[in-house]
Amino acid sequence: MHIAEGFLPAPHAIGWTVAAAPFVVHGARAVVKEVREHPESTLLLGAAGAFTFVLSAIKLPSVTGSSSHPTGTGAGAVLFRPPVMALLGTVVLLFQALLLAHGGLTTLGANAFAFAVVGPWAGYGAYRLARGLGAGLLPGVFVALALADLATYVTTSLQLALAFPDAASGLAGAAAKFLGVFALTQVPLAVAEGLLGVLLFRVLTVNARPELERLGVLRPATAEETAEETAEEVR
Amino acid sequence: MTGLAVDDAAWASAWRTRSPVDKLVLCAGLVVCALVLPVWPGGVLVALAAVLLALGPARVPARTFGRAVRWPLAFVAVGAVTAVVSVDGGGLGWAPDAAVRAGELVGHSVAGGAAVLLLATTTPMSDLLPAMRRLRVPGAVVEVASVTYRLLFVLLESLHTIREAQTARMGHSSLRRSYRSSGVLAAAVLTRSWDRARRMQEGLAGRGMETGLRVLPEARPSSPAFLAATATGLAALVVLGVLA
Repeated sequence: MHIAEGFLPAPHAIGWTVAAAPFVVHGARAVVKEVREHPESTLLLGAAGAFTFVLSAIKLPSVTGSSSHPTGTGAGAVLFRPPVMALLGTVVLLFQALLLAHGGLTTLGANAFAFAVVGPWAGYGAYRLARGLGAGLLPGVFVALALADLATYVTTSLQLALAFPDAASGLAGAAAKFLGVFALTQVPLAVAEGLLGVLLFRVLTVNARPELERLGVLRPATAEETAEETAEEVR
Repeated sequence: MTGLAVDDAAWASAWRTRSPVDKLVLCAGLVVCALVLPVWPGGVLVALAAVLLALGPARVPARTFGRAVRWPLAFVAVGAVTAVVSVDGGGLGWAPDAAVRAGELVGHSVAGGAAVLLLATTTPMSDLLPAMRRLRVPGAVVEVASVTYRLLFVLLESLHTIREAQTARMGHSSLRRSYRSSGVLAAAVLTRSWDRARRMQEGLAGRGMETGLRVLPEARPSSPAFLAATATGLAALVVLGVLA
């Protein structure tokens, strides 16, 4: 769930827009450079943006019985890296605000900071860490997607807590309230998004191996491995 | 029908042929008024103005407008209640002047949401994106966003078709199967998006695309009368909102 239009007071809306701007501009620079060097990337990047939008329209079968939607930015961060996701995530948020009335325009900065900056970076960081510690692709993808989802909602909760400190217990009380309502309820859904990611990447490693190798998610198979696989197939 | 009710409304709206810049000025003005004016009477007047303009001259179906505000309203209701509940030493209670604060939050959000929805239900994204070039957004970014807009309907249709096929084959009959099917669904949509992009790229390369997707923008001249009415209306809102 994104922060609705008009919900944040003006100074907070402006502050979060300023905070998200450098990341989005950095992402835009990366995209401009990529398109200048490879004009054909325009279509692939557009496809990545459309996939992120559509992924958030998939109904997630939740453990608790109710259905909800994945954020989709964790998968994007693993596939296309966080700087590009900062821009694509913001474009997707703009589309969600204007096509689905989810989120808003004055809250676009705050939502972009949570959804397109913190989520992808947290997910990608967890993915690199897991892979660095020797985890395989699928465990890495699970922590990336689950953490990206959870980090997004923790950030949203903290943004709301900053804007509306508790009358009695101040910022800490407000953080506990909003985390309880918006982040704790998200834990099963974060696990569900992680599971969806594992299933997604399991299918992709079989059906779209060349694309994953091109994106650098999978190491290209060496000649020896290919020979081994061929030998296995022959057997 | 494209599948997204707000987008359908935007294409069918009576204001579709108005200059996107005119509509942007009006809606941005309303959004700012909704955010900074006190809720009573400023915010209420902004909400009324946005709804009346959408349902009146712009001829947006009331049903579309009503359905589109359901989700944001759910967030606003949960968020506003959480904001005005006070936690103190393990006990829960209402913060002082809780009703007033909750009312203000809901008022700002409803007024702002209605103003954004007025823009969304009268202006298709494909009209807004070229207008972003004027705001000095780089051309490459606008192009990527335009491709995203055009592809997402194709992918949404794939999503629904594949899901229907999966459901017909008992793919969503249990939680376990539902997970498996959702994973396959996401993978199918992603590989289709790559395939679409590659085929479009090949088609465009064959037609000599070298530097970018240049299309002729539709000429929609700005209406001085509309802009004057916007300025007068916004000024009246500000005066009423501040003085009352």
